[in-house]
Amino acid sequence: MSFIEFVEGPLYYVAATVFVLGALWRLIGIIRIGRKKDISPPKGSDALGFVKGNLRHFFPRGIFARRTWLHIVGGYGFHLGLFGLLLFAAPHVAFISDRITGFSWPTLPRWGFIITAEVAFLGLIVLWVRRFSDPVMRLISDWDDHLGTWLTFLAMLTGCFAMGESSVFLRATHMLLIDIWLIYFPFGRLMHAFTFFLSRGNTGATYGRKGMNL
Amino acid sequence: MSDQSRADIAVAKFLEHTDSEAASFFEACVHCGECADACQFYLSTGDPKYTPTYKLQPMIRAYNRDKAPFSSLKKMLGLAPSKVTEEELLEWEPLVYDSCNMCARCTLVCPMGIDIAGTIRKMREGYAAAGMVPEGLQSAAEYVKKTSSPMGVTIKALKAQIAHQEKACGIPIEVDKQGADYMAIFSSMEIMGYPEVLGAYAKLFKKAGVSWTISSVAYEATNVGVQIGSAPLAKEILQRVVDAAEALEVKHVISPECGHAYGAIRWAGPNLMGRQFKFEVVHIIELLDQLRREGKIPAGKKDGRRMTLHDPCQIIRRGGLMKEPRSLLDDSCSDFIEMKGAGITNFCCGGGGGVSANPRAEELKTAAFGLKVEQLNGVENLEAVVVPCGNCRTVFEDGLDAYDMDLEVVGLSELIAQTLAEE
Amino acid sequence: MKQQSGTGRLSNTTWTARIATIMLLCALALVFATGETYANSHVRPPGDAVNVIADDGAPNTLGDRSDAEIWDDFRGGNPRDILAPQPEGTVMTTTGQQWRVIRERFIVKYAGWFPAGVIGILALFFLVKGRMPIKGGRSGKTVPRFTLIHRIAHWTTAGVFMILGLSGLIILLGRPVIVPLFGREVNSVLTSASLQGHNLFGPLFIVCLIWMFVKFIRGNFFQLVDFKWILKLGGLFGGHVSSSQFNFGEKSWFWLLMIVGAVMSVTGLALEFPWFFEDLRWLQISTILHGVGAIALICVSIGHIYMGTIGVEGAIDSMLIGEVDENWAKEHHDLWYEEVTGKSAKEAGETT
Repeated sequence: MSFIEFVEGPLYYVAATVFVLGALWRLIGIIRIGRKKDISPPKGSDALGFVKGNLRHFFPRGIFARRTWLHIVGGYGFHLGLFGLLLFAAPHVAFISDRITGFSWPTLPRWGFIITAEVAFLGLIVLWVRRFSDPVMRLISDWDDHLGTWLTFLAMLTGCFAMGESSVFLRATHMLLIDIWLIYFPFGRLMHAFTFFLSRGNTGATYGRKGMNL
Repeated sequence: MSDQSRADIAVAKFLEHTDSEAASFFEACVHCGECADACQFYLSTGDPKYTPTYKLQPMIRAYNRDKAPFSSLKKMLGLAPSKVTEEELLEWEPLVYDSCNMCARCTLVCPMGIDIAGTIRKMREGYAAAGMVPEGLQSAAEYVKKTSSPMGVTIKALKAQIAHQEKACGIPIEVDKQGADYMAIFSSMEIMGYPEVLGAYAKLFKKAGVSWTISSVAYEATNVGVQIGSAPLAKEILQRVVDAAEALEVKHVISPECGHAYGAIRWAGPNLMGRQFKFEVVHIIELLDQLRREGKIPAGKKDGRRMTLHDPCQIIRRGGLMKEPRSLLDDSCSDFIEMKGAGITNFCCGGGGGVSANPRAEELKTAAFGLKVEQLNGVENLEAVVVPCGNCRTVFEDGLDAYDMDLEVVGLSELIAQTLAEE
Repeated sequence: MKQQSGTGRLSNTTWTARIATIMLLCALALVFATGETYANSHVRPPGDAVNVIADDGAPNTLGDRSDAEIWDDFRGGNPRDILAPQPEGTVMTTTGQQWRVIRERFIVKYAGWFPAGVIGILALFFLVKGRMPIKGGRSGKTVPRFTLIHRIAHWTTAGVFMILGLSGLIILLGRPVIVPLFGREVNSVLTSASLQGHNLFGPLFIVCLIWMFVKFIRGNFFQLVDFKWILKLGGLFGGHVSSSQFNFGEKSWFWLLMIVGAVMSVTGLALEFPWFFEDLRWLQISTILHGVGAIALICVSIGHIYMGTIGVEGAIDSMLIGEVDENWAKEHHDLWYEEVTGKSAKEAGETT
């Protein structure tokens, strides 16, 4: 079996399985802990609060926007860029439609792909540089933060190297990094991609029940 | 009690209070550091250890070690975090008690919507159970057990203040009136420091034509159990109020101009007691606004001083009553200017959440108040600041003194009573 | 030579300025060498060639003209003038050949030696002089020097620059260096990857350059005190030299980076969007300037990195933590220290 056949074949299946099962296990585990029912007379709806909380925390409020602008710009640049790449870059759409969905959708033109990738890279670099430059970040960051960042960066970088698709080896390296990233995902802080909706929702529900917008 | 067992007790409580809500918070934090930019203790000192998520470290570690999904797997592989020790708990104690007002600015700014303030409340349960509580709060708890008041205010002292106020405003204030519409509870700070509020209530309720009373066995609104973080103590304190109110068969209990008191009785209360109350709870600001909208306490001549409003955290940001004080002030003042950052993002006075009862935190509290001073200085020719919370008022008075500022501090009920329309 | 206190310490980027000067001189040398080589690119027929067009045979269609002259006519124009436009009707262009010669014989052949040389010189310097310690040792008190945003801007630019520099060197030196060492397969993969990476990160460098310009322009204008500083060669031959927030060397690096960086940006964009150029010579000149600029920036940045890390004690603090030790500030940037703290930078017993 060649390198590319291995990383796109058995290793990919293992990685995808670990990713899906691991993420589900972790999410269900969190929810199963449960919480006591709140019997105080409500002022608002907790269900609506759950939704509102999720939407509201996308936007920094009032004076906070000015204080944290670099984090917001870097963060959104990286995340939006990454989703743009994952979901609309032609090689990715081809892979997904081939392996997962069975159908495809319109993709970015090459120049769109490049700009999206550049925004994603710049955002991620700024975020990681901020992580070791800011004394607060230095205090609260741990190896999980750095490992998660670097795995993501290397996955993106090998993807960049494999553009043009002229080298099978480069394509295979990218796939290898993706497999490693998928396996690591459920066990580290990368899980925030799924847990964020629970935390925002919980706060939104708790305060929404009290008629508040936190 | 051996060293190890104090840590064990604390950790066991941490885990007990880590429900799925707290767990979702611990699992969602990406260490982005934005909470630091919201915390007045970090902003005023520049010390990274005051980063809100950092304050939760021991509780998070305990969760990751013993309760998180995959924790057993990580323990097997030697990847689980180490046990929380008593040294660490003691090191964190000032962070949890001295440098947190539970003001929830961090909750507001967090991109993941993590309620750090609410989780500090849960974390304090571990500290309270292990007996690791700051001295000031400990003595307040002892006073409460003896006299129901954290400042040791007895019924004799209260009755003396009531008599004074009856004389001053010429309206009788009835104690233990059966079947009254409203039973009012007060903070000891108000009773001893700002007793004019009693007269203000009398004037306002007479005008509105509602009956009200004060209970001789349950007049204290503050709940040091909430501040220390002890659910059993919080319940005990609340029990007195609930029993008295139900015995008097009042329709409503009024929570006063105090920060955490409203949250303690309105939201935590039924859950602590395990049942619904036989009365409704209303905040005084809510009630005044409602009475004004109903036309029962019309505004008269407006107060002409240049005023601004301080937003007590537990009433506005964590209480949801942002509009009410403002609409009341608009009716009663002719020169009401908002300070920069007013409303939901306003700064805490620095003394909430038990900090003002903690002498060890005095310096830190004064440093945090510096941010409030900046806000006040931003309003030109300011003459007075409306502070609808007894604790905040004390902090303001101490703080303005420390910063050599000359400014009047006014309570909201008193202001509304003073600007009431004449008969 | 053992030097006295106050004279042995070469301030911070004295060496950077000197290296920059050396590089400038080398670049000039390269240009002259190119011109010289260019003059010799005239092709001569082989020694035993026979002129089949006999002088006494049938007359040639163009009259009595030599082969060389006929080839000149095919080529058109003056072969020495690479910038003149091609005349109408020319069949062959030879500017490509000239460009190729410049690139292969000079740029690719010698490029790698410059960074290697700089590393060698710095290694030697470090072995001989060692690290420049802080005069009087660390005081334990600090002065803020760079804000968080300054530091983030710097490190982001540095990271992007490293990626571009590394990928650029691989592209440039793939054939002469990588192929002999690792074979064609490896070179193909590395160069292919590097090209994609270089092209993607290039525009990011432009964004970073603008960011750096905006954040660091204040304090980087040359002042009288800088000329005094360079006249004393940064204190190399004796005495303390005053400096404001940035000294002559640092300012030179800033402006070199901005100017050469701008050239790199323009030429880089030209090479990424070649279809906008009808005349190939723009692209040819772009590759030459891009290559030369890259080597210049790489060399000077090696010096900058050396100074900021191992070369001078206490320097890295400014960019890692944002604060510097007071004694470091008094020694290297005394005027800035006085301005920021309001205290005098002179200590008792210090030689001036």
